[in-house]
Amino acid sequence: MKKSLLHKTLLPITLYSLFVLSASVPAYYYLVDSIWLEELDEHNLSIAKQTENELNKLNLSDEELAGSILLWNKIQPGTNLKELPRHVPGPDSVYTVWKQDPYEEHKDIDRFRGLARHIMINDKPYELIIETNIEETEEIVLAISLVTLFFFLVLVAGFLLLNRKLSAQLWKPFRNTLDRLKSFNLSSQTSIAFEKTDILEFEELNDVLQKLIAKNISVYRLQKEFTENASHELQTPLAIIKNKLDLLLQKETLTDRQYQIIEEANKALTRLSRINKNLLLLAKIENHQFDNNESIPVSSLISQSLGQLKEHSDNKNLEVVFDPDAEATVNGNKTLCEILINNLLLNAIRHNNPNGIIRIKADQQGISVANSGSNALDSEAMFKRFANVSSTNAGSGLGLAIIRQICLRHGWNISYQFSDHFHIFRIRF
Amino acid sequence: MKILIIEDEPELAQSIAEYLSGKSYLCEFASTFDQAQNKIHSYHYDCILLDIMLPGGNGLKLLEELSSMDKQDGVIIISARDALDDKIAGLQTGADDYLTKPFHLAELAARIYSVIRRKQFGNTNTIQHNELRIDLPAKTVSVRGRNIALTRKEFDLLIYFIGNKNRVISKSTLAEHLSGEFADMLDNHDFVYAHIKNLKKKLQDSGCASYLKTIYGTGYRWG
Repeated sequence: MKKSLLHKTLLPITLYSLFVLSASVPAYYYLVDSIWLEELDEHNLSIAKQTENELNKLNLSDEELAGSILLWNKIQPGTNLKELPRHVPGPDSVYTVWKQDPYEEHKDIDRFRGLARHIMINDKPYELIIETNIEETEEIVLAISLVTLFFFLVLVAGFLLLNRKLSAQLWKPFRNTLDRLKSFNLSSQTSIAFEKTDILEFEELNDVLQKLIAKNISVYRLQKEFTENASHELQTPLAIIKNKLDLLLQKETLTDRQYQIIEEANKALTRLSRINKNLLLLAKIENHQFDNNESIPVSSLISQSLGQLKEHSDNKNLEVVFDPDAEATVNGNKTLCEILINNLLLNAIRHNNPNGIIRIKADQQGISVANSGSNALDSEAMFKRFANVSSTNAGSGLGLAIIRQICLRHGWNISYQFSDHFHIFRIRF
Repeated sequence: MKILIIEDEPELAQSIAEYLSGKSYLCEFASTFDQAQNKIHSYHYDCILLDIMLPGGNGLKLLEELSSMDKQDGVIIISARDALDDKIAGLQTGADDYLTKPFHLAELAARIYSVIRRKQFGNTNTIQHNELRIDLPAKTVSVRGRNIALTRKEFDLLIYFIGNKNRVISKSTLAEHLSGEFADMLDNHDFVYAHIKNLKKKLQDSGCASYLKTIYGTGYRWG
């Protein structure tokens, strides 16, 4: 199933935002944590200094000091003041420890930030340890994650809504272009006027399409003119020769033999003229110059053609059996259909045995024309141009090629079969 | 009858004139658009043969001018263009007939004859050839007042010959006339012989003189 372009970009963008936002959770956590720890360290240090200063300021005696320290240690959990045996100079030690907070209800292990500092009280070395409870880490993580998830959902919802809105709006010029292309008809020879758009790529597309179409139209027109001019050029000398023969016939001093020669020349000219017309017709069909379609009453066209050809079928004493379906209609080009039917019937008459039969059927599915005959024809080559020309066959050799081309243009299927001494041509709509 | 031949190909124009020459027809020529325009505006003709593809302009324009001038000259378009659209355009613009090149001169002559008679005699269009009387609109033939029953093709052939008096017409020409499109596709032209034979017999039986003669074995001439 094909997806729209914006849908395809939606997934990577969504995944990317998920990834970034997920990465932001630990990032925020560590940032907040490190700031918080720094604050706690400063807090611990300031308490340590304050404790040192205040204790020194009190100027207590050794006994009072020991007692105070005992009291101090008891009432300040998380701090501990211990006398050191001898002065151990050293830097402060900052550390983290996990232990249970004695004052909290729950039994969880909390995180504590500690400071161990050597201080001097009344010039005696002491070790002061201060441990402060860092806020529960899970709560930080949970809070950050929830907020982040919230923002992620807002993002995705936003993407979907924007997608829908943009899809209609952004692609409008593209859809316009598509519509105009769909309704383009080459044989009408009118170029397409694309709507102006401010989107770079679509404007470029329209420009290129415009040029392509203009070229197409001009090629089509040139071909059309060429085939028509070529045919015209050929017909003129043909007409001259034909007319000169007509005049020659009027000379009083002709012999019978001379008359015959003129007759034969005339027949050849007529054939030549027909070949020329047929070639032109083929070129026009291939060049899409028969683009009009209408609903065609098949049976009445066949009847019409049979009427015109009656004399010729009677000459050969042919029996014509026509089984018409009066309702049968097909969508196509009327001129071409007439030519198709005429050619089919003419062939059925010409290639028939004297006293033979022609069977014609026409219905909504197609047409079939069968005529009695002697030998099967080569079905491979027969639809090619000039495949079947022989001295006994006065046709132009293009009849079947034209039939085939007309079928192609309409999307119809034509087949040939020889059975029971009958040549059968079937056209399926 | 005055005929104007508007055709740029000199050999064709010459052939037409030569075929038509005789007591009945007087031919004039025009080989460019301007020449044709001058002639049309200056003179009247019984029939104008018009080639659409003219140097200097489109023949159809001349046709439009003729229509707008309300002239009664008959017009037959002679053109190498065979397309249905061209034919329709021509006839709609006011032409009386359309003939595609190449055509037989006999065919042209027959059409000229028809057009002139239609234009000049309208509904009372009868041809009198001695004892033979032909009522064109009614399509009836009578000899000394007695009707002869002719088939449509026989009647058609009769008119064809009358329009080509004293001219030799070959069998293949007649075949083309009768079968039109399909003439050369059919090997056997004997059907022509059958029609001629029937026509001759009917005329003879009704006491008509034998104007229709057979020449050179398969050629025919009226008169």
